Parts: sequence; structure tokens; C-alpha cells
Amino acid sequence: MSPLALGLVICLVTVLVLATGTPVAFALGIVAFGFIALFDGWYGVMATADTLFAGLEDFTLVSIPMFVMMGAAVASSRAGSDLYEALARWLHRLPGSLAVANIGACALFAALTGSSPATCAAIGKMGIPEMRRRGYNTGLATGAIAAGGTLGILIPPSITMILYGIASESSIGRLFLAGVMPGLMLTGLFSAWALFVSWRQGPLADADRRYSLRERLAALPRVLPFVVVIVGVVWALYGGVATPSEAAGVGAMLCLLLVALVYRVWRWRELWPIFRDTLKESVMILMIIATSILFGYMLASLYVTQALAEWIAVLEVNRWVLLGWINLLLLVAGCFLPPAAIILMTTPIMLPIVTSAGFDPIWFGVMLTVNMELGLITPPVGLNLYVINGIAPDVPLTTILKGSLPFMLLMVLGMVLLCLFPGIATWLPDTLMGPALV
Amino acid sequence: MERYAAAVSWLSRLSGYVAAGLILLAVLVVCQMLFVRYALGQSAIWQNEFVTFSLVAATFLGAPYVLLLRGHVNVELVPLWLGPRAKRVLGLAASLIGLVFCVLVFITSIEWWWEAWAGGWETSSVWRARLWIPYLSLPVGSLLLSLQYVAEVWAIATGRVPPFGALPGGAEA
Amino acid sequence: LAAFGAAEAATTLKASHQFPGGKGDVRDEMVQMIAREVAAADVGLEIRVYPGASLVKAKEQWQAMLKGQIDITSFPLDYASGRHAAFGATLMPGLVKNHAHARRLNESPFMAEIKKEIEEAGVVVLADAWLAGGFGSKDKCILEPDDVQGLKARSAGATFAEMWAGAGASIINIPSNEVYSALQTGVAEATDTSSGSFVSFRLYEQLKCLTAPGENALWFMYEPVLMSKRSFDRLDEKQREALMEAAKKAEDYFAEESRKLDEELVATFEKAGVEVVTMTPEQAEMWREVARRTSYKSFAEQVPNGQELIDMALEVE
Ligand code: NA
Ligand code: NA
Repeated sequence: MSPLALGLVICLVTVLVLATGTPVAFALGIVAFGFIALFDGWYGVMATADTLFAGLEDFTLVSIPMFVMMGAAVASSRAGSDLYEALARWLHRLPGSLAVANIGACALFAALTGSSPATCAAIGKMGIPEMRRRGYNTGLATGAIAAGGTLGILIPPSITMILYGIASESSIGRLFLAGVMPGLMLTGLFSAWALFVSWRQGPLADADRRYSLRERLAALPRVLPFVVVIVGVVWALYGGVATPSEAAGVGAMLCLLLVALVYRVWRWRELWPIFRDTLKESVMILMIIATSILFGYMLASLYVTQALAEWIAVLEVNRWVLLGWINLLLLVAGCFLPPAAIILMTTPIMLPIVTSAGFDPIWFGVMLTVNMELGLITPPVGLNLYVINGIAPDVPLTTILKGSLPFMLLMVLGMVLLCLFPGIATWLPDTLMGPALV
Repeated sequence: MERYAAAVSWLSRLSGYVAAGLILLAVLVVCQMLFVRYALGQSAIWQNEFVTFSLVAATFLGAPYVLLLRGHVNVELVPLWLGPRAKRVLGLAASLIGLVFCVLVFITSIEWWWEAWAGGWETSSVWRARLWIPYLSLPVGSLLLSLQYVAEVWAIATGRVPPFGALPGGAEA
Repeated sequence: LAAFGAAEAATTLKASHQFPGGKGDVRDEMVQMIAREVAAADVGLEIRVYPGASLVKAKEQWQAMLKGQIDITSFPLDYASGRHAAFGATLMPGLVKNHAHARRLNESPFMAEIKKEIEEAGVVVLADAWLAGGFGSKDKCILEPDDVQGLKARSAGATFAEMWAGAGASIINIPSNEVYSALQTGVAEATDTSSGSFVSFRLYEQLKCLTAPGENALWFMYEPVLMSKRSFDRLDEKQREALMEAAKKAEDYFAEESRKLDEELVATFEKAGVEVVTMTPEQAEMWREVARRTSYKSFAEQVPNGQELIDMALEVE
């Protein structure tokens, strides 16, 4: 059998096993195991343990549980609602001020955590009930949080980018910087849409609520701890204290201190959920990493990866058509799988194709991340949708989806803008870190 | 069998506590390393490897507990379409596939761990960490995963728990 | 059917290394050359090269070769020093002075001892290769041990780290792909690595001064092309001959090119405006003094015939 035909068989088998509902990590593992046993025999199989362990034995991965912990710590406290409250007081004069405040709070919170569901949960817990109480359209209220929450993986730190950086061997510090401007751009686009919808709807009940300057100033100290954490991490990162992987440790520590000192979370009963959620999300990701490395080893060993790259190189399609197909494929994958699983499974195969077509791997990492953001709010598997379902169980999924649709289109617009003006992603890292290493 | 399931979930939970402890320890050690390096200007030799191994061990030791919490993400497209009977059959199949994988990992990891222990394998760094210690997490974790899966297969087969858990998508985050 | 039979009879070997593939890297070229020569010999032997650690991770290659995942690897032998402590001597400061010295060392009793241990582990050496390297600093040039006092340094190997620490530097342990940004942000202020890595990681953009290998280098690393004995024994007489002949050619090619790596290093760094210096024999000897009480000493403690090995290496003229 030719490597390409073999690749097709492997692909089919993998889809079948995934379709049974077996956890992604174990599904990838059993398929890899099966094909290794079939083609390499017992010797290949006996190397499984070493491959699984070595796959995780990488200091760069250390940042994943730590950035997850940052989010879990802050999301477990009242910190999210404080952030949101402060912004609401300052923005109350705008039409749709609450929606804008929520999106802004999501963007700020995103700078504290590497995961989107954490952002969504932390801000949405307070934001959604508040917006609905003040007469906001339910679709806009839930859509703004679902979409705003996805900024968690675009605005640094980002677990998605760490995984991509590891898989593509590109600089994680550079990827983080590349996410800043696109993140601000999407925040701006989302806010503009919220303003537009609210303006068209006419004045709402919340227009009556006036905050005095005193009330507004009183909300400021609540934002201070966030600023301290963000400044602390940025100082560690760029002040010669820590590498990007190590800075995550500083962030996790600062967030634990923040919730302990400011929000008085120190009883075991309150602390355990933080550690449990950290464990749950990071183990889920890390187990998929381990078995996807086994899977990748199987593909490379059977020469499937190389044959596929060679095949595509010969095709000679237009590079933008190629990029379109890749994004479509990612979008479909995004409907069914969380970002971590997609990146780990596809990057080793996709990256050689993308770079040989002349695209910048850092820029592509940003495109990929925006694409993964979309997947977080598409059914049937959209992590942010479940979070919102948990916060507002009475809102039907179709309402959330209808409310999210304009934001999804804005993300697609964002991707088009990134294609037209790649500088949106590459300017900041190039300016601060010098031209890219190629 | 009730007793077995209770005992296994107790073990998985214990293993989960250990794993969470390892993650917290890793955070503390990273901060300690930065302090030693930046504030004291001294060498930091062992921390890097210690943290890496802690988190690998946390992953394998935490996996059984995450299985108990149904936190390993899966694709639930087909199960969503199926009726209760077919859903149960598919749920059993999915759990059996998971079980087979975990048992295979356990079998291969035993020999691998033994080689590292008997051969006195160390890392090639200054610290010379003895590899059998972190390696132990893989056989232990995969054994617990297998035991946990046996309990799950039994619980689904006897209708004690619904297949694929209650939450859509299996994991909340 | 006959053609099919012939294709079936062909043996395919997997060769793995960690260096970029198809981009003119000398170490990649060395392995590719063996693959090409063997194919040209037409003995029913095919070698598939997996560059850039695309099959197994760099440090796992030794284990993967013993387990049969790969057959051939171009491998920094020091990576396996956690399993065979004696291999630590192949990335030991001050044992090899320059490329001519390295070639003489290959035939010495010291290397005979190392190769004996390699063979006992079930591995065949196809081709010898020594890579030179140097020191780089963000601050003043590193020539004498005193120059590194208080410097935050990242080292490529354990034996060098011990020497740096002995000279008063503080050692930081970070992965190689983070060295560039660590130097940039000041997490690290100095580093040692091979000539090839200095260039491929573009460290000239961050460093102020480079201590190039020159004639009195301290930094040399043994990075042979290895093959698992089990795979080797499976080949027939003609295949073995063709393989060894190809390996000999690759070895000669590499000996020639590795010198060019150093020349390229100096040229690239000078072009980037980095100050380039080399050590005098006296300065190298000062470092060897530091090594005697640090890396040599702990090597002698860890390895049963450690002191002997070091003395044997130091005796080579
Ligand atoms: Na973020
Ligand atoms: Na989705």
C-alpha cells in the first residue's frame, strides 16, 4: 500500500474510533498503537511507554497547567465581576455600555488567563444576568460573552499559542506578541457591533442609571490587583527574570496570592475547586499531547506525513486557495473538537505545507488561533456554549447561536483583514524582538 | 463489585490529590528558581528538570481522577443522535476501547520502568536525576486508569451511570 | 512479479537526526550522503532519513535505536551519558584542542575505550565526527575563567556547566530553543554551544563577543553516526560493505566540512559586528585547571575508570 493510501485508511479508522465517543486522548492512542503493532511489530510497540513519557518531558509544556491555574484561581473568586463592575461604571454613558463593558472585561481578563472557557465563565457569571436584568436583548448578552470569552486564547497568554509554538518550533514569546494587536482589533470590532445593535434598539432602562464620579473612582481600586498581576507577568517576561514558560509560574503564584489576599480565598473548601479545575483541564490537554505525539510518531514512521507534504507540494494550487481549504478544514474540525486537540493533531501535518507555500509561521499561528476561537462557539462541541449554558440554563442554544453569529462573522472579517494586512500580527513582534528567525 | 468501584474511585481520587499537589509544587519551585536566579544570582540546576518531571507525573497520576470526573474530552456527535439502548452499547464500546489502550500502556510501561530501574538510568544533566522515580508515574497511572475503566464498564453495563455522562461534550472546560 | 519480488527483498533502514533537513546543514548532509551512496551501490538497501527529530526526540534517539524504532542516528553521544556515564567524556572541556587533534584522538586508546562501551551497548559506530564550539557573551569577551565571574550562563552539557560554575558563573538551565530570547531579555548573559548552533539559532543578533574555536579550543563534542548492532547484523555481506564504504566517505566529507563550520561561524559573527576572539594555549590551560577540580573530578568519581579515561585523552598530542 502506498503511504498516501495508508494515510487515508488511518484517517478513516481514526474518525471511526473518535465517533464512538472514546476520549480523544485514548482514541488517538489506540489507533497509533494498532498501526505500530501492524507495521513495526512488537519492537515498535515496546517503545510506546518511552514515546508517551518523552512526549511530555518538555519544559515548555510547564506553562500550560500554570496558565490554566491563573484562570481557575481568578474565575473562582469575585474578581471577574469586580472587573466588569468597574468598567460598567466608567462606560455607562455609551449606548450599549454594559455590552461594551463586558467585552472590555473579557479582553482584560484574557490578559490574565490562557484559556477561553475560564474567561467566559469569569465575566459571564456576573455580566449575563446583569445585562438581561437591564433589558438587553438575550441574544446580544449571551453572544457578547461567548465571543468575548474566546479572546482568552488570542490575547496573551494563550494555551493555544503555546501548543502551536511547541508543535511548530516557533518562539512562544513572539507568538504572544503577535496576538496582541489582532486581539485588540477583535475587541474593537465586537464593541462596535454591540454599540451598533444597542443604538438601533433605542435607549434602554440602564440609560437612567447614573454613576457619580465618586462611585466611578471607588471602583478603580478593584481593578488594581489585575493590573499588578499583569504588570508582574510582563515584568518577569521582558525584564530578564523569566523565559515565557517560567513567567507562567509567576502568573499562577500572583493569581493565587491575589485571590487569597484580596478575596480571602484560603479555606481548603474554596481552594480545592481551583486545584481540581486546574488538574482537570491541564490533564485533559496533556494526555492528548502525549498520545498525539505517539500518533505523530506512527504517521511519520509509516512515511504518511512526508508523502502527504510531497503530494501537496506537487499539486501547485494557488497559495490563497490552499490557505482557504486549510481554514475550512480547521473550521469543520473546530465544530467537533476543542482547540488543543485540533492543533496537536493537525500542526505537524499542516505546518510544512503552510511554510512551503510561503506563509509566515507566526502569522499563521495567529490565523489558526482566530479560527480556533470560532470553533469555541460552534455547535455541537463549543466549550464556550457549554459555559454559557451553565450560567444561563433558561436560554435556548438557538438564541445564543443567533446572538453569536454576528460575532463569528466579525472573526471571519478579522481573518480576512489579517490576510490583507499581515502586519496586524507581525508588526509588534518584529518591532520589539527584531525581524523573525526564519 | 460495588465495593470494588468504591475502592477504585477512592484510589483515583487519592491519585488526583497527589497530582494536584505536584502541580502546586511545580508552581512553587518555578518561583523559587526565579528567586534564586534573579534575586540571589546563584545557579539553578535541579529545578528545571524537577518541574518537568513533576508535571509529567501529575498528568499520568491525575488521568484516572479526570476519568472519574469525565473530564477527558470526546466527540459526542454520534451518541447525541442515538436512542438510549444504542447509546448504551456505544458507551460500552467506547469505554472498552479506552480500557484496552490503558491496559496496553500498562503492560509496555512495566518493562520500560524495570529497565530504567535495573539499568540505573539517569538524566544527562548536572543533576543526574534517577529516571525510575518519575517513570513510575506511567505504570501506576495506567494501572489506575485501567481499574477505573473496569469500574466504568461495569457501571454502564448495569445501568448505574448513563453512558457519556450527563454533560454534553463530556468536559466543561 | 519479479520486480515486485526485488522490491520486497530490499531492506529499508530509518535514519534519524535532530538537525534541519535539506537546508545544507553539514550533519544532515553527512547522513543524506550515506543514504545516497548506499542507494547508488544498488545492494537492495534503502535508507530513509528523518531530519529535525521528526520521528523521535533528539535525546530519545539512543533509546529508540536500541528498541528498534530507528536503525541509524547522528547522535551527540553525551546525550546518553545518563545511561553510560563514560560517554560524558565526549563533551568534556579541554580534551580536544582542534580538528587535527580530534582526528588523532579517534585512533587513540581513549576513543578505543569509548567505542568498546558503545559496542557493548549493542551499537556500531559507522562514522566518527567531532564538532567544535565556543563561548559567547553579551558583555565582555570570555578568555580567562575570571571573565565569567557572576555571569548568568547557559551551558550545552553537564560537564561544561560544572566548569562554568567552578569559574564563578551562575548556571541556568533552559531548553536550547529558549536561549535566544533568554539572551535577549537578560535571563542569560553567556552561553556555550557548537559552531553550527551559534549560527542556526542566530545568536549573533544578541551576543557582543564570541570566543571562536581557533587552535586552542575547549569545546569539542563527539557526534558519530551510529547504527544498532541488531540492524547491522541483519544486513548481508554486500550491504554491510556498501554501508561502511558510504560511511567512510561521509566521515571524510565531514572532517573537511566541520572546519568550514568554524570559518562560517567567524565570518557570520564578524559580519554582524560581533567581536571575535580566540584563546591562547595559556588561557586554555587556565580553564583546564578549573575543569580539573570540577568536571574532571566529578567524572572520575562517577565513572569507575574515569580518571584513566581523562588522562588517556590528555596524553594525545
Ligand atoms: Na489570554
Ligand atoms: Na465547536
